[in-house]
Amino acid sequence: MSVLRLRASRGSVAPTGARGVSLVRAAREARTDLRLVARGWRWGRRPLVPASAVSSTVVTPRPPFPTAWARTPAVSAVRDVIQAAGLVPLMRRELTTKVGGLDVLTRLRELGDGPVVFVANHASHLDTALVLTSLPHAWRRRTAVAAAADYFFDTWWRATGSALVFGTFPIERRSGTLSSTPQELLDDGWNIVIYPEGTRSPDGWTQRFRLGAAFLAVSSGVPVVPVAIRGSFAAMPRGRSWPLRGRPAVTVRFGEPLWPQDGEGVRELGPRIEAAVARLHDEDATDWYAAALRAATGTTPSTAAPAPPATARSAADDGPPTSTAVAAADEPLSTWRRVWERTESPDVRRPRRVWRV
Amino acid sequence: MTRPGLVLEVDDRTPPLLVHEGNGFRLEEFPRGTRVLYPPESLPAVPDVEAAITRALLEPIDSEPLPQLLFPGMRLTIAFDDISLALPQMAAPDIRQRIIEQVLTMAARAGVNDVELVAANALHRRMTAQELRTMLGERVFRSFYPQGKLTNHDAEDPAGMAHIGMTDHGEHVEINRRAAESDLLVYVNVNLVAMDGGHKSVPIGLTSYKSLKHHHNSHTMMRSRSFMDHKASAMHHSAWRMGRVLKDHLKIFQIETTLNNDCFPSTYAFLQKREWEWSIRDQASMLAARRGLSVAPASLKHRIFQGIRAPYGLTGVAAGEVEAVHDATLARVHRQQLVEVDGQSDVMVLGVPFIGPYNVNSTMNPILAACMGLGYYFNSYRGKPVVRQGGAVILYHPVEPAFNQLHHPSYVDFYDEVLSVSTDPAVIEAKFEEQYATDPWYVHLYRTSHAYHGVHPFYMWYWISHALDHCGDIVWVGGDRRAVERMGFRSASTLQDALAMVQGSVGASPSITYLHNPPHLIADVR
Repeated sequence: MSVLRLRASRGSVAPTGARGVSLVRAAREARTDLRLVARGWRWGRRPLVPASAVSSTVVTPRPPFPTAWARTPAVSAVRDVIQAAGLVPLMRRELTTKVGGLDVLTRLRELGDGPVVFVANHASHLDTALVLTSLPHAWRRRTAVAAAADYFFDTWWRATGSALVFGTFPIERRSGTLSSTPQELLDDGWNIVIYPEGTRSPDGWTQRFRLGAAFLAVSSGVPVVPVAIRGSFAAMPRGRSWPLRGRPAVTVRFGEPLWPQDGEGVRELGPRIEAAVARLHDEDATDWYAAALRAATGTTPSTAAPAPPATARSAADDGPPTSTAVAAADEPLSTWRRVWERTESPDVRRPRRVWRV
Repeated sequence: MTRPGLVLEVDDRTPPLLVHEGNGFRLEEFPRGTRVLYPPESLPAVPDVEAAITRALLEPIDSEPLPQLLFPGMRLTIAFDDISLALPQMAAPDIRQRIIEQVLTMAARAGVNDVELVAANALHRRMTAQELRTMLGERVFRSFYPQGKLTNHDAEDPAGMAHIGMTDHGEHVEINRRAAESDLLVYVNVNLVAMDGGHKSVPIGLTSYKSLKHHHNSHTMMRSRSFMDHKASAMHHSAWRMGRVLKDHLKIFQIETTLNNDCFPSTYAFLQKREWEWSIRDQASMLAARRGLSVAPASLKHRIFQGIRAPYGLTGVAAGEVEAVHDATLARVHRQQLVEVDGQSDVMVLGVPFIGPYNVNSTMNPILAACMGLGYYFNSYRGKPVVRQGGAVILYHPVEPAFNQLHHPSYVDFYDEVLSVSTDPAVIEAKFEEQYATDPWYVHLYRTSHAYHGVHPFYMWYWISHALDHCGDIVWVGGDRRAVERMGFRSASTLQDALAMVQGSVGASPSITYLHNPPHLIADVR
């Protein structure tokens, strides 16, 4: 032991910390660290809280991304050019689009210049472009689109881009509170596009409508114009960033405006809006009168699968067998069949010309 | 509102998590599904510390108020926890200073002339004069140290120890003679973790090797499950028996203090926070610290980390009868540190930080690193260990074979001579302990220098005996390969490598739990 003790006192077991420092190595490590932190803490994007820590984490709300600049005359003019010269030709090149029901807008203008709330089902990122490019120019240039704050306003470049091209403004879909911006926009005479489902449908079928649009309509006294979009899920579902090849067909149909009635509350108007969108889907798949008949008897096929068998059967009896009716007739509908049903594009073939030149 | 402890489940939203590894830290991306235990947030500190101390001394639990125990002509001894607590060291003024100043004020008013202060360092190294001055403050130091009335406990002074008696288990009870022959012994605790305080204070802090070896041995340590629960700890059972013998011979006025979890000053605030709550400033601080540490020489890194002073807040102080006071203390410690955990896991991951009880102002050598990880953190549970029987423990630490020659001379020989023969605590104990414990050179260094006792490295190794017995695999990430092998473990470069190495005992998809401490936590495993 005495030998070992000597070694100890002479310090034979020395610290090994003295190492040469390579600047190149240090720079490389710094870059690795920086990347790790930038990725881990989502620099430039909205920070996320681990799911298991959400209940114990106090998130300080960030101030909403300013979008007023995007509605100034100068930027609106730029957007006009982008939409007319870029978006419209692009949509024509990639999709076969059929638009119906625009006459309701003409009749609305006869009543005055007041704004409206467009309410559409939502199954694809194409939906906003479809609605905007379907609107007449005079409507389009005064229309803003409510977009999820946590997705479209996640990063500055995405927020700026979507506000510039589509005239979007942020709306919180998780907090349950409605930002004041939509109200202010309506007060300023801007039309608003809202997707009351809150997010894109995962399987193409319509999800539960939330009451934000109805609340706006009731509180502002503006009409709601229902919009049915068919085929966008088949053309570009979740997970795709570009439409399928072959110019898939999509249809956009505008419906009769719904005015809040005297004494009508949000909880009454909300289901009316949802029913109107479902009826438009039916109308788009069949015809206006057949859909009106089914609506009158409360047998409009639901767009939320699976529909009750009675409704489906009735729809099938009263009109041509729509894909919705066929699918809804067989309960329960498996997941793949739900998706399969909605990946079918609507038939937009034009009738053959009688007279050939 | 203080948030309770959290069991995080790592998902794709979880940023990399901070893992301590000696004088540094790293960011680790844990596999999805890994459970991470975070301690409760710091409890609010007592707003008026001085008033709280006064109240505790005047309204003690199961005891007369302190002023009534003081009288002219009496012998008063004040013992206090040594520098092994708190960790990191407490920012001035230390809570011991504030308490002792009030005790001395009352003693002066009562006309007590014969007062001595003793650091209860047992077989730890003697504290330096500077360390005593920092801990107790200038007033106390100047009044007692020059007169030789402020001293370190000397367990090897034959004249300085008094044999009190035997427990019903045949255990010798021997403590510091000055304390034993006093009319009143006031003991000032810093109860950083649930292990501290109670009868562990006097019967262990002021005792000798003769008494310590009854519970500081491999057999008892193995049956202490865990050290954080004195009712389930064989070591504490022995200490409690000794304490009850002492109680019949000596009046002890126990003062116990509990601290919140404010372990790091604002400069290192990111070490205290949950990672997904790091602000840009925290991220920048962390990056700057990591880059700075990567180019800093070892000595500078050592100075930086040893220079950390924790702004601990006092969550409570209680005084009076030992066991009654300790019950109140445990309730407060548990409120601050307990995290409920649902079931054991296959793998437990630990980051061994820069400081442990025995390397304050010193070096964390491989044996101390093992003790910190496998002795303290592994045993930081109540109920069952976090890892299942036969599971694996993965630790992070550089495990550099660097020893402080002043503080840890016997550790060098233990590392070279003992661990090269065996790493089995029982074998080591039987073959080498007596020799190291009685070696005159080590005794001399312990008594006259600032060296830990010759037997101290053995105790460190006994601390880990429960982990050695319980775990199937122990792997160190980032550790010096030779040092790790010398201790009988395996080393890996990355967590992925370590998980691959332990596949044999836990399978390819093990459940993993990472103990995110410091700040301190106790896993309450159900």
